Amino acid sequence: MSKPLKIVLKILGILFLLFTGTFIIYFFNLDMKLTSMIEPFLLKHYDNIPRNRHL
Amino acid sequence: MKDLKHLIFFEDLLLEANNKLIQQARQEGKICVAYTCENTPEPLLNLEGTFSARLRAPRTGSIDVATYYLTSFLCEYSRALLERAIEGGFNFADCIVTPDGCSMMNRCVENMELLHTMGKDNDRFFFEYMEIPMKSDDNGLNLYKLQCENHILKPLKEHYGIDVSDAAIRKAVAEHNRVCELIRAIGEFRKGPQPRITGYEFCVFNLATYVAPHYLLVDMLEETLEELKTREPDEKSPFRARVVVVGSEVDDTDFIKLIEESGAYVCADRYCYGSLPGRDPIVLTDDEDALTQICRQYMQRGQCPRYMNTEKMLGRRQYVADLAKEYGADGIIYQQMKFCDPWAYEKMLGSHILREDYGYPVLAVDRPYAIAGSGQMRTRVQAFVESIEIKKIQGGASNG
Amino acid sequence: MAKEIGADRLGDFYVAGSKVRNRREWRGVQDTLYDYSRWLKIMMTLGKFMMKPRNVKAFFRYRWMANYLAVPMMVDRHTQGLRGEYLRMCHTEQDLIIDDVAKLLDNLFRGDRRIGNDTEFSKKVVLVDENEMTAVMMGFPMLKCLSRETPSTYVSVLLNQHAAEHYIDVAQEFGLAGDVCPMPEAEAGVSIDDDAPVLGACAIQCNTTCDGSLLGNGVISKRLELEDGVPVFQLAAPLRHREDDVQEYAAQEIRNAIAFVEKHTGVKWDWKEYFECAKRVNYATKCRQEWLDMNRTDYPQVFGSNLALYTETNYMAICGRVADFEKADRKLSKLAQQAYKKKMRAAKEYRHRAIVWGVQSHFYMDFLVWLLNCWGIVPLTDMLSMVSTKMIAEEDTPENREQAYYDMAWLTENMIMRNRTHGGYRVLLDELWQFTEEFNADMVILWEHICCKALDGMHGLFEDRARDLGINLVWVQHDLFDPRIINRQGVRDQINNYMRTVMREEPIDPSLEILPDEESW
Repeated sequence: MSKPLKIVLKILGILFLLFTGTFIIYFFNLDMKLTSMIEPFLLKHYDNIPRNRHL
Repeated sequence: MKDLKHLIFFEDLLLEANNKLIQQARQEGKICVAYTCENTPEPLLNLEGTFSARLRAPRTGSIDVATYYLTSFLCEYSRALLERAIEGGFNFADCIVTPDGCSMMNRCVENMELLHTMGKDNDRFFFEYMEIPMKSDDNGLNLYKLQCENHILKPLKEHYGIDVSDAAIRKAVAEHNRVCELIRAIGEFRKGPQPRITGYEFCVFNLATYVAPHYLLVDMLEETLEELKTREPDEKSPFRARVVVVGSEVDDTDFIKLIEESGAYVCADRYCYGSLPGRDPIVLTDDEDALTQICRQYMQRGQCPRYMNTEKMLGRRQYVADLAKEYGADGIIYQQMKFCDPWAYEKMLGSHILREDYGYPVLAVDRPYAIAGSGQMRTRVQAFVESIEIKKIQGGASNG
Repeated sequence: MAKEIGADRLGDFYVAGSKVRNRREWRGVQDTLYDYSRWLKIMMTLGKFMMKPRNVKAFFRYRWMANYLAVPMMVDRHTQGLRGEYLRMCHTEQDLIIDDVAKLLDNLFRGDRRIGNDTEFSKKVVLVDENEMTAVMMGFPMLKCLSRETPSTYVSVLLNQHAAEHYIDVAQEFGLAGDVCPMPEAEAGVSIDDDAPVLGACAIQCNTTCDGSLLGNGVISKRLELEDGVPVFQLAAPLRHREDDVQEYAAQEIRNAIAFVEKHTGVKWDWKEYFECAKRVNYATKCRQEWLDMNRTDYPQVFGSNLALYTETNYMAICGRVADFEKADRKLSKLAQQAYKKKMRAAKEYRHRAIVWGVQSHFYMDFLVWLLNCWGIVPLTDMLSMVSTKMIAEEDTPENREQAYYDMAWLTENMIMRNRTHGGYRVLLDELWQFTEEFNADMVILWEHICCKALDGMHGLFEDRARDLGINLVWVQHDLFDPRIINRQGVRDQINNYMRTVMREEPIDPSLEILPDEESW
């Protein structure tokens, strides 16, 4: 197999893996599942920020 | 203190919306111009042949029907007025003028119109809705003048043939000022350590001037003023603190009575239907038409929270502070009618600013329309009075 | 999982106690790949945004930024059950809005004294309210017109139903009564909580939408003007906007606002740019009218939140100033025409034609697509989409330059929602029945925002008139920004109960009747 062809196949392979991976994340809503787990920690962080609270 | 001669008469007047002086004036052929908001310039409603009546609903019981129309989320004042209108209690009015001041009052009057509660046998009856300025500036003044022309003067002239000339307006202002001067003079007796009139008594006299024809009250007010000049104050004051009451409309004298029965003397009344600034005389000069001058003064002195430019917002709180100083107040009560949006915000800001920036003890409360038997309110005011006393003692101890 | 509309039980995607759904929809190969590609684009938009260190800093500084974790889910909620052209319409709109909001955030943080602190940039920023038509900025192409409230409260609640609760509580801790509208209440809460970006050469606040906005602005300007040193102009838009005798006042306010901006930024008004924007405003109006005309037929195409959310953004926040929205208008019209020619429908069954009136439940905007999917109620139009249909002057002439002030004033007075809730009972009450007839609707879904006194004040008369006209009037109460008062299921139950007891119908998709989404974003 020629070198350019090998490179093309490698790129296609990577793209296919990327597509599969992202599609799995998309379809099973893994992005939202992950960010929903982050939220409580963020809220705790915001509670601890000193604020100049007044009218 | 010795009873004031006309107090009972004035108290009786306030028991009915269609009081005997309104009936008398109508029998004399005068046109009753009903209104609902302090932003409606009063002198324009008191021209030759007309008299103004600011609507209230004394002895309100159930407001269920009005609640169906307006829901329980609108302030009780608006609901009480609509209920009374539906009952036919405002059929003494020959027209009604209302600014689109707050949404609730606007909807209240619109419901009155759409439910045909008023003017049934009067084909000259009219409902008029005005725009009023939201800022005190030249543009606002131009608007105010145009709105008064289009929605007060023109309809009065077209429907009832009322003289709306500059001369007629000036005459109305002079008569209006007479009442204002009397009320302000009577109000002066609230100053000093031994006032000769209670806040409640003052409230009665003042409120009557909003709901009965002025020309039928003037003589009695003059007599009352004379009485007060020689009235002996109580040797020992029953009050433990002096307060300014600020906020949304108070047309229920029982509220002032409740505050005073709880130990706080109401030395100044900065609320809608109050005398400050509602009974400030209007000063006219000859170099400009009267209408413009009236509008300018109403705009500049108005303390309604819907005025939204920065100077007005800051000015409102300064005005309260100035009154507290002038009338020797120990504390301030910021009150709002329950569900009043404008005063909800103004109460929040005002009570904080008067407390933090001006150093006054402040009680912030909301209340129903009819308050007479409210134990909760009594408790709040009593606790407030005690806190003022404690503050005075602590302040005295630290100075001593 | 299926390509056909209505084949899925959409309620099965919800998981009790969870913020998010268990998976996304399978819509057939073509539509799923299309949706996936749009999701990728959103991810790239978000990724690009977070690549900038200042945006990361802002993310960790401002509590409301946490809601932006939910951006893809907002899109999922609004595309639920959609296929074909309807899916594409929704994405055309939502993706553009996401892009626009990302730019808004980026600009805010660039100028924010706490974050980017780009003082030169900040000198070219004019802050505007969320509840304000931006017509007055149409002739200032060199300035950035930014709203702090839009991303901190308005968009946040679209993303996460619980977003405003903290700020509402803060405002109430400081003594604000709980019965006021939660929108200005939350906005005031953001200011009190020291959670608003600080930037700008000046600010324009407006009394629209209502008393609450007018007064809430006072809380905000106290800090903004008196402490942060940003001069504020209060733009007064008359309430009785249908009357001729207020228009001069309104126009003068516009002149004064423009003069204020010129004074504080040093930038002069650009008439050429203004008339370009005016053309876009007219084009948007024309497109909206076409969509509404289609909705009067048996084959409505742009409706529900596809119409509502987009109109709110394009008409109010954009107001002709962004060319991308003109392209979107064109694309939407094309998709709508395509679907209309094919006599397509967005759901399995259309049982009822409804006008949605009143103020929307902002924490549950996807209620409109739920109505369609669960009960076959087609929300043909809503009160917030029935905005000005007036064509404004778009040719640069001396007469039109004078007319322009009145046009800008007209737009400002006729801001979304307030053009109906204020201005007299005709615009709120009488015109509803005209629209019901025009759209051949057999039902009115009346959003009753319980803290909106202007709307509540017509409750009884709505009832009386609906009864007289024989129209099915379904009340749906809510508290706009606060799902703790009436939650999403509470909102749904009001429809469910009416449809079962009065209409004696069964849902098209029973899985949607009761949803465990109390914790959901």
